[in-house]
Amino acid sequence: MIQWIRRKLSVRVSLWVVMFAAVIFISALSFFFYQARDAVRQEAISRATQILDNTAERVEGILNRVEVATNMTKWLVQRHPDNPDSMFVYSRGMLLNNPDFYNCSIAFEPYYFKDKGRYFSAYSRHEGDTIRTIQGGSDNYQYFYMDWYLMPMLLGKPSWTEPYMDFDVPTNTSNMVASYCDVIKDGQGKVIGVINTSLSLSWLSQTVSSLKPYPNSYSIMIGRGGTYFVHPDTTKITRQTIFTQTFEQPDTALTRLGHAMQRGEDSMMHTNINGESCYVFYQPLGATGCSIAIVCPESDIFGGFDRLRHTVDAIVAVGLLMMLYFFIRIITRELNPLRRLAEEAETIASGQFDAKLPNFRRIDEIGQLSHSFGNMQQSLVKYIDELKDTTSQKASIERDIRIASAIQKGMLPEKFPSKTDRDDVQIYASLTPAKDVGGDLFDFYFRDEKLFFCIGDVAGKGVPASLFMAVTRAVFRTVSVRESMPDRIMATMNKIIAEMNKNSMFVTLFVGVLDLPTGHLYYCNAGHDAPLLIGAGVGMLPCDSNIPVGFRPSWKYTLQEAQVFTGTTIFLFTDGLTEAMDANQSQFQMERVTDVASQALAKQHLEPQQLISEMTEAVHQFVGNAEQSDDLTMMAIQYIRQQRDVKLRKSLVLPNDTQEVPRLNDFVAEVCEAVGLDSIVAMQVKLAIEEAVVNVMKYAYPQGTRGDVTIEAVSNDMRLKFTIIDSGKPFDPTVLPEVDTTLPAKERRIGGLGIHIVRQFMDSINYERSGNLNILAIRKNLTDNK
Amino acid sequence: MYSIKNIVSFIAGLLLSAALLAQGNTFVFTPQWTAQAQFAGYYVAQEKGFYRQAGIDVRIEHPSATQPAMSRLRKNECQATTLQLCQALEIVDGGIPLVNILQTSMNNAMVIVSARGKDPLTQKGARVGIWSVDFGQLAICMSNRDHLDYKWVRFAQNVNLFVAGALDATLAMSYNEYYQLMQAGVEMREENVYRFCDHGYNIQEDGVYMTRDYYNSHMEQARRFAQASRKGWEWAAQHPEETLDIVMRYVEKAHIATNRTMQRLMLQEVLRLQVDRESKKREFRLRPDMVQKASHLMKENGMLKGEVTYESLTPDP
Repeated sequence: MIQWIRRKLSVRVSLWVVMFAAVIFISALSFFFYQARDAVRQEAISRATQILDNTAERVEGILNRVEVATNMTKWLVQRHPDNPDSMFVYSRGMLLNNPDFYNCSIAFEPYYFKDKGRYFSAYSRHEGDTIRTIQGGSDNYQYFYMDWYLMPMLLGKPSWTEPYMDFDVPTNTSNMVASYCDVIKDGQGKVIGVINTSLSLSWLSQTVSSLKPYPNSYSIMIGRGGTYFVHPDTTKITRQTIFTQTFEQPDTALTRLGHAMQRGEDSMMHTNINGESCYVFYQPLGATGCSIAIVCPESDIFGGFDRLRHTVDAIVAVGLLMMLYFFIRIITRELNPLRRLAEEAETIASGQFDAKLPNFRRIDEIGQLSHSFGNMQQSLVKYIDELKDTTSQKASIERDIRIASAIQKGMLPEKFPSKTDRDDVQIYASLTPAKDVGGDLFDFYFRDEKLFFCIGDVAGKGVPASLFMAVTRAVFRTVSVRESMPDRIMATMNKIIAEMNKNSMFVTLFVGVLDLPTGHLYYCNAGHDAPLLIGAGVGMLPCDSNIPVGFRPSWKYTLQEAQVFTGTTIFLFTDGLTEAMDANQSQFQMERVTDVASQALAKQHLEPQQLISEMTEAVHQFVGNAEQSDDLTMMAIQYIRQQRDVKLRKSLVLPNDTQEVPRLNDFVAEVCEAVGLDSIVAMQVKLAIEEAVVNVMKYAYPQGTRGDVTIEAVSNDMRLKFTIIDSGKPFDPTVLPEVDTTLPAKERRIGGLGIHIVRQFMDSINYERSGNLNILAIRKNLTDNK
Repeated sequence: MYSIKNIVSFIAGLLLSAALLAQGNTFVFTPQWTAQAQFAGYYVAQEKGFYRQAGIDVRIEHPSATQPAMSRLRKNECQATTLQLCQALEIVDGGIPLVNILQTSMNNAMVIVSARGKDPLTQKGARVGIWSVDFGQLAICMSNRDHLDYKWVRFAQNVNLFVAGALDATLAMSYNEYYQLMQAGVEMREENVYRFCDHGYNIQEDGVYMTRDYYNSHMEQARRFAQASRKGWEWAAQHPEETLDIVMRYVEKAHIATNRTMQRLMLQEVLRLQVDRESKKREFRLRPDMVQKASHLMKENGMLKGEVTYESLTPDP
């Protein structure tokens, strides 16, 4: 119910209005009823008082007559106190003159009349239509002990006795009688007797009984001693007093009423009689000592008033209920548009932004609300459309970035050579970008007997860095095909990148070329972290301070060299390792990198994958749950080439004259035979060496100058190596592109075919410039060809 | 010649004699006041058939205005009546020997109720109501002894006089007028009620008496009546409400202006007065010490000419 009221504005407003109206109605009606009730009460009081007054007045009139008549007779008696017989006449005369009187006795003190004995009372009373007069005193009726005789004597004044029931034996009827009595005195003022005139009060009891101002009201009359003389319950009359029932059921109200009536008070009392709320109006009856009361039940007095009140209450209640009903109906109807608006809002909220709003054609607040709501809906639709566009654009960008990330990952080498793949080097690397795409790069590849590798870090992160990284890696691959020395590679890359670098981006880069047969490392560092060499100990590779790539195209990068021994691991990394941060923003730092490297060395865990995994684990432990702040790239290269015993060493020095080729062929044939190559392979080797040497003879020295070509043959169990040395102009035949044999011979570049033959028949070719010497090493594996 | 009229008269005379003879066997008992619970035990004995069972035919006849109890006894119109001990002493002293065949009261019931809330003992010379019949001897003794000089006003009925203010105080019986006064709205408090029993005047009251002459010739009948009456009282003590029903039947029959409430109070009080203060029992015996005390007091105050002894009242002197 309460939930319903809380949900319904119409009910709530109606309830408030009706409650307010109810308060006003109730207040007004309460005041009105209070006043009206008081008026009814006053009316009842005046009505009852008037009835009582009338009764009392009437009674007093009759009592007065008794008193006057008695006084007159008394006067007569006192005038002639000596004649007892005349007393009979006086008493009889009293009744004769006053037929409504009940009886009259003129009684004297004992032995007052000597000849009359102890008793003398002249007593007359009506008996039918006649009056009987007798001497009333006797042993059986000793009148001087009676109330009527004693009262005036003791009180010293005329008085009315308490009413009593006079039982008339002949007629077997009883009469309620009260007597007025007064003392008779002689000439000396001495009391000689009492005159008593009685009045039947039956008429009075009937009169009082019939006092009925209200249907259920009743009257009572009590005497001085509280005895009931009139009561609706006739069994109580003369037998009970007003106090009798309080013996068994203490009733303070009744007791109070009884005492008040005994005292002869003329008043009114509101009290409970026999459990019913009543108004009791009471008044004394003249000098009789009696008191009459009219008991009016409150329900009687206020019966009509209560009926009126209940009717009005009912009308008001029904009216308020109807008011409530109609208010709810009206307000519900008035608020109906709001409800529809709310439903439409629900529809819109559920996603149907184009839902049509109802048009109320109203200019009141609800109309305004509807209008504003419509505006809001339009704005909402517009905003949602914009949001959709933005969202789809964002999704497209994200998709692009995911693709870019995949492309970037694809650029990096995925296959790392291990010792099962190669006997000279094993490599492992990992790159973890901080975002989808990153600016770190690494790369390596083998050309001839050389390992070209680089590691770099583009300044910045995200898409721009990744694009720059891609460019850098592509340029590295392009440049290193033509250049074998890291400084020259770096310089060329720098020039290319710097020239196309409009956004002033840069990349720190380390480029290394490891000569695999010798373990000799050439390297150039452009502002990158110096790699570690982990072998006999842990040490940092000394690096010159070159500026990063991309700033100045004309920068001269320096070349550095180092010898890498078998078993040593080169550990390269980006600053994402040293600057990895934990939750407290403290960095991993170089010391920890060195520590991890030292531990790995101590455990001889120098295999690239093992080393990187231990380093990765150490970083993860340090970083904990903190977010990765920068791209992290590591690359490890372990040199594992074993040096073998030389079984044959021969050399031949020839001038740069092709006429000397037969000597060369003999030398090669002799060597091939010595190492045990079969004739076909020996033929191929002879052809390859001839091509290489003729190439040097023809092109190493300027036309017409003389120069020597030294051919050295060395072999071990595994390989046969020819080294061709000249002091001509620097020339690296290995960097020439391979001959496109699909082209006609005329279009092919000179010399290219020779190198092609060499590559075809031999297993590797390697060029080195050492000092002013060109040193070309050509190898043939023996294990496959014996 | 005997006429038929004479024969009829003769037969009628014979029948009347037989009736009188039958009446002669009836034991008439007259309580000394109008019908009320003061005599409940006798009504019970009658109504429950205790008298019949004892082999006696009892008729209870209340005194009328024209025939007080003692006058009926004297005239042999009744065979037994109730009297207060002091009354009995006066009658015996006056020359009519009486025998107490059953003593019911063991305590004195008389009180003085003073108007206007005053202690009766402080009202020297006050007008005090006293019964016109011969009750209240002890009050006169007390008034003399304590020099209170009360002016005695003899009354037939005291309630209206008292309520009208015509009396300063009035004597009352604790089982009767005392409650009537209360019923008339008089408030009873410690200070305005004087109980004789509490001031050295605890003299027994009601007992059943018959003339010694009658007793001597009807000893067995007297004994049976006394026993059956005692049984009636004992039954009444055990069945107060049924007793009250019986009482009310007598009251209604006699047109007495009273009510059940008053009669209940009276029965309770009368039964209480029958319990001896010392033995806490309903003893139904005359106490020699009380007889002696009453006799002394009354003689001192000139109410008796000579001492009336306990023995003179008992069945076997």
